[in-house]
Amino acid sequence: MNPFLAARGGDLVARLEPAEAGILGLLLDQLEQLLTADPDDVGDDPVVERLFPDGHRSDPEMAADYRDLTEASLRSGKADDLAMVRASLPAEGGDVRLDTDQAGAWLRTSNDLRLALGTRLDISEETEPPEDVADEEDQQLAVYYWLTALQGSLVDALVASRSGRT
Amino acid sequence: MAGPLAPTWTPETTSEERSDLDRPWVTIVWNDPVNLMTYVTFVLQEIFGYDEATATTLMLQVHHDGKAVVSSGPRERMEHDTSRLHAYGLWASYQKDA
Repeated sequence: MNPFLAARGGDLVARLEPAEAGILGLLLDQLEQLLTADPDDVGDDPVVERLFPDGHRSDPEMAADYRDLTEASLRSGKADDLAMVRASLPAEGGDVRLDTDQAGAWLRTSNDLRLALGTRLDISEETEPPEDVADEEDQQLAVYYWLTALQGSLVDALVASRSGRT
Repeated sequence: MAGPLAPTWTPETTSEERSDLDRPWVTIVWNDPVNLMTYVTFVLQEIFGYDEATATTLMLQVHHDGKAVVSSGPRERMEHDTSRLHAYGLWASYQKDA
C-alpha cells in the first residue's frame, strides 16, 4: 500500500495492492450484511451495538426515543458511505483517487470497519500488532492494523489539505 | 426591576422545574480503544468548527479522563450533536448537565 497523500488539484490518492483491495472488498461485504440484516436478528451483536450506540446511557426511555429519532438516518448514511467507497475502490487494486465527498465516506467507513474488527477482536489500548501471523486471529489483527494505517494516512492527508486551504 | 408592564402574577415554579430549565444538556464523548487520536481531533473540528487547539484539548481530555463534554445547550441540539458524532463512529451520548 502507498498511503493516502494530497495530490495536486486537491484529490487524495493512495495505491492498493490487489490483495489489499480484495480484503477491503470482503470487509465491505461483511459490513453491508450487518447493516442490512434484520435488527431483530443482530440487535444483540456487540458490533451492531457499537455502530449504533445508545444516545442516553442511564435512561432507557430516552435512549429508545433517540433511536427512533436517529437510527434510520444513521443507517442510511452508513449505507451511502459504503456504496461510495465500493464505487471508488479498484477491485483489482491500483490507484484510489478521492474527492472531498469520497474522502469523507472512506474516513467514516474505514472507521466503522475498524470498530467492527476492534470489537470482534476485543482490542484494548494495550493491544499490539502481531509479530508473526500464526492463526486466524493474528490475520484479523494484521488486517485491523493495516486498516489503522490506511485510515491514519487519510486523516493526516485531510488535515494537511485543510490547513493548505486556510 | 419591575416596570409598568411587568406581570403582577408570577407562575409558581417548583425548584425541580426551575433546575430543569437552568441546567443545560451536554454531549459527551467517551474514550474507546479504537478511534485514533488524530481522527477524534479531526471529527471535533469538522462537526463543531473548533480550532485545532480546542479540538486537541478535548481529545486529550477524552483520552486521559475517559470522557469530555464537547457541546452544551438544549436537549434537541444535544441529540443532534450526538447523532452527528455517531455518524463518525465516536462513542457519544447526551445527558442533563450534572
